[in-house]
Amino acid sequence: MAKQSSGTGFTDTKRVRELIALMAENHLTEIELVEDKSKITLKRGGQAAPAAPVHHAAPVVPAAAVAAVPAVPAIDESLVAIKSPMVGTFYTAANPESDAYVALGSTVNEESVVCIIEAMKVFNEIRAEVSGTVAKILVQNGQAVEFNQPLFLVKP
Amino acid sequence: MFSRILIANRGEIALRIIRACKEMGVETVIVYSEADRDAGYLNLADQKICIGPGPASESYLNIPRIISAAEVADVQAIHPGFGFLSENAHFAEVCRSCKIEFIGPSVESMKLLGSKLASKNLARQCKVPLTPGSDGPINTEAEAVAVARKIGYPVIIKASAGGGGRGMRVAHNEITLRSSLKAAQSEAEKSFKDGTVFIEKFHEEPRHVEVQLLGDKHGNVVHLFERDCTLQRRHQKLVEESPCPVIDEATRQELCNSAVRLAKAAGYYSAATCEFMMDKEHKFHFLEVNTRIQVEHPVTEMVTGIDLIQWQLRIAAGEKLDFRQEDVKHQGCAIECRINAEDPARNFTPSPGPLDEFVVPGGPGVRMDTHAYQGYRVPPNYDSMIAKLIVHKATRAEAIATLRRALDEFRVGPVKTTIPLHRQIMANEQFQQSKVDTGWIERTYKAVEKK
Repeated sequence: MAKQSSGTGFTDTKRVRELIALMAENHLTEIELVEDKSKITLKRGGQAAPAAPVHHAAPVVPAAAVAAVPAVPAIDESLVAIKSPMVGTFYTAANPESDAYVALGSTVNEESVVCIIEAMKVFNEIRAEVSGTVAKILVQNGQAVEFNQPLFLVKP
Repeated sequence: MFSRILIANRGEIALRIIRACKEMGVETVIVYSEADRDAGYLNLADQKICIGPGPASESYLNIPRIISAAEVADVQAIHPGFGFLSENAHFAEVCRSCKIEFIGPSVESMKLLGSKLASKNLARQCKVPLTPGSDGPINTEAEAVAVARKIGYPVIIKASAGGGGRGMRVAHNEITLRSSLKAAQSEAEKSFKDGTVFIEKFHEEPRHVEVQLLGDKHGNVVHLFERDCTLQRRHQKLVEESPCPVIDEATRQELCNSAVRLAKAAGYYSAATCEFMMDKEHKFHFLEVNTRIQVEHPVTEMVTGIDLIQWQLRIAAGEKLDFRQEDVKHQGCAIECRINAEDPARNFTPSPGPLDEFVVPGGPGVRMDTHAYQGYRVPPNYDSMIAKLIVHKATRAEAIATLRRALDEFRVGPVKTTIPLHRQIMANEQFQQSKVDTGWIERTYKAVEKK
């Protein structure tokens, strides 16, 4: 189901078909694109997969950039998410010269520091609070994160 | 003008601010707690950021989380709305020290006018009429008794740092005064972290009349006339209107001009409301100043045509008021009913839950300010106000007729609301003749049956 507001950006059906195909490939159920004064919202019917928390404003988003939106995998029930306890900026390492605290496959225990979240110039070490191996890293170095945002998926 | 601001509030006022910003081309960033995660108004902002779990202390009252959100979103200013951190001088200080403008007054004027005692002193200097009372804090029983003997009973003990109708006790004689003083002090200490109390003459059957003020950073201060907020329940306003139906033009001018004098003396800019008690002889007495935008601001917006929220943004961005006092005109009569998710039949117990049915009134003269909609769940964590129904018509009688019509159209369920109570108030002859005082609602409506 597509909903379209004013503007010429998305009246090209070929383009809309491309977006729909991109959504299916990446298992997205809903996207909203704003380009200049055009806006399009696409919702895929059928089974709803859990939606990614897309909270950041998309200023000009050319169609090509949609491919860069990370795919949201259907959540493996056995994986435990490490969620952000605060609002701030996510860093993978203590400082730009250091190695990242963890990588895919790293073993962690409850006390392991997995990342830094910087808030108001204070660098907070974030602990795993779960034991296992890092199965997925969901955010990028330098990305703004919000409270309860999933950062890592750990296989216990 | 700012290109992006953060709104550190929720619900109806957050939506109000988003609307004002959108019209001005200002990008909005809204914070929310987990309890508000599914609220529809969040998606009207350009960006939303979850800052914490439900409890306000870990979200809407949490300064570090809010400032972090402001920094990651790279905003130039924060609008605090009302309640929460809107009158928190420390928060205003932190914002500005982080180079984020606080959309409100300067820290100094907020502290000065935010203190009941300091503002009373300033009022005295500006020849704003005051309620007789202790000219400063009361520390001992002996002092309290001496003051009360001088001004006469009944008296009221008030917390200097109090607000929202809390931290007050009335004493009708010396015995009650002596026994209430210690209790009042420890209550104040617990609720406001400041046990300072003072004493004033208690006005029986008063009216509550307040003046809307707007000032810019260039020293210009104007009033936007008065609002009568006499209809209250437990010191919480339920109905507000403008103009005050019982004062003459001379009293109105004196009232409004005295409020402007006070604001100017405090070097105040942004929006504020100067509150007064009016006694049975229609003499007014300074009560306090609220250094923020208020819930009932739409009443003033309707009768003056001035958008207060947009002006708060302009003022914070350094713009001058582009109108003078003589340009401010008062037209017609506006009345607001606060629709709270409370059960009037069960002593106004909060009534959170789903709004399976939510049909709002419309038509000429009706303004609905609400973040609620059919399907919205009213969370239990915050205050119970879900909507404000405002009408604006040429005369008070017409405004009441429109309000009655609008209240009949308003369907909310299964959550209980104050709509049935408002229907009864609007049909009440005493209200229609405005023969009311601040105790009127509690006396008249001990329990209300749903009609």
